[in-house]
Amino acid sequence: MRAIEYSFREGASSLWRSRGSSAFAVLAIALALVVLGALLAVTWNAEQLLARWESAAECSVFLRDDATSEQRGAVEAFIDQSGAAVEHEYVSKADALARFKREFAELAALTAGFDDNPFPASIEVRLQPTADRDGRAEALLKGLAAMPGVADTRYDREWLSRVGGGLQTMRSAGFALAILMAVAAAVTVATVVRLGLQGRREELEIMELVGAPMAFIRGPFVAEGFLQGGIGAILAISALGLGFLLVRAWWGPDLAVFLGGGSVRFLPVRLCAYLIVGGMAVGSAGGLIAARHAR
Amino acid sequence: MIETHHLSKIYSRGLYALRNLTLTIDKAEFVFLTGPSGAGKSTFLRLLLLQERPSEGEIFVNGQNLATLNRREIQEYRRGIGFVFQDFKLIPSRTVLENISFVPEVLGVPAAQQRRRAFQVLKWVGLQHRMNAYPLDLSGGEQQRIAIARALVNDPVLVIADEPTGNLDPDLSLEIMNLFREINAGGTTVLVATHDRELIRLVGRRTITLDQGKIAELG
Repeated sequence: MRAIEYSFREGASSLWRSRGSSAFAVLAIALALVVLGALLAVTWNAEQLLARWESAAECSVFLRDDATSEQRGAVEAFIDQSGAAVEHEYVSKADALARFKREFAELAALTAGFDDNPFPASIEVRLQPTADRDGRAEALLKGLAAMPGVADTRYDREWLSRVGGGLQTMRSAGFALAILMAVAAAVTVATVVRLGLQGRREELEIMELVGAPMAFIRGPFVAEGFLQGGIGAILAISALGLGFLLVRAWWGPDLAVFLGGGSVRFLPVRLCAYLIVGGMAVGSAGGLIAARHAR
Repeated sequence: MIETHHLSKIYSRGLYALRNLTLTIDKAEFVFLTGPSGAGKSTFLRLLLLQERPSEGEIFVNGQNLATLNRREIQEYRRGIGFVFQDFKLIPSRTVLENISFVPEVLGVPAAQQRRRAFQVLKWVGLQHRMNAYPLDLSGGEQQRIAIARALVNDPVLVIADEPTGNLDPDLSLEIMNLFREINAGGTTVLVATHDRELIRLVGRRTITLDQGKIAELG
């Protein structure tokens, strides 16, 4: 306990004495964590959005023009019994045409030239959020495609998978970059702490000669790195918070439209805590590397 | 207290810093180690402080074979030794009192006890009125007295001094030697390396003379 107290007192005073050079180490850690934090913020928000989209997954079952009402009833019964649907809605040919005219008003004039209504009747099915993951959605669509009266089915899951895959790639590349920057930050911390160590050679020699335990000799250097890492992490989170506020002020409304009424959110407390712990770990690692020279 | 058997220290290219040293220093004895520059005095002290390991032979302190000590045992062993160097080795950024209390501090002694003990030894060397001064504000003699106080703060059984008067004038040198005599009178073994023959004559204690790493005279 005394070694920890001594290490932090000495580490803090050394940090203050070499505040000029320590600023480089703190900035290096802050920069690495800003990259990691920004990446986490983007991927975390994207994951939330994907989860929302996944929970609102829908599929469409297009009926043949000559499908009888019995065939339609059988399709609806099949959907109900599958357990994969939350609800479904029948959209007649006339409803589909009206919807087209409403949603694509500028193209509405084209429909005047149609001899016949080209839009098929359909049943729109809102799926259970877990139906895709447990395979029930796929089983439902396979069954529906084989039923009499069904012309086609559509279930746009592929693009969601592609977005998810892209997100994973981005996360991996970002983590690789963040690890690289964290290593560079640890090396910077080690260099800065080692500079301080050179200035304390005599003190260390005396400590060794009086038989001071290793925790007292090396502890202050590890504590100095730890503090540099902590300060760097707090700086990084502050910078990320400021950036987040600016993004929300400038592009908030546009983002809300893109997100379908949702809003971007800052990193949750749990991730902020991870960033601080990560910063301290990187700093301590740098301090430990330097402390190995204090034998 | 200290026993060596055929102790040798060989540096690179077969150069002997110490050769075949066999000697005994008793408990509570005051011994001078003398000889010309390069005789091996400092090497012998470095071996005693375990800053270096012997190349051949054995060295025992209080019955402990120093060659067999592991890192933790070395720390424990060093806690029983006080050391004083020619260049004082005081920390310029710490006050006089902090320079002394630093030793018990890094050994994990509680804060109040550190300061009390530091003040006691500071008073013993007669510099309690300079407790808040910094080393560079003190004279050479005062700095060496602080170094002696630091050596004593941990109640050592053995005090080792390497040319402790090398930077001091004859009057101050004698003053420092009187402190060592007082330390010895309290039952602490004192080993002082010096090449100052006049000082040895004035103090009048047993003297071991080294020359080219060998014992030239075992007083």
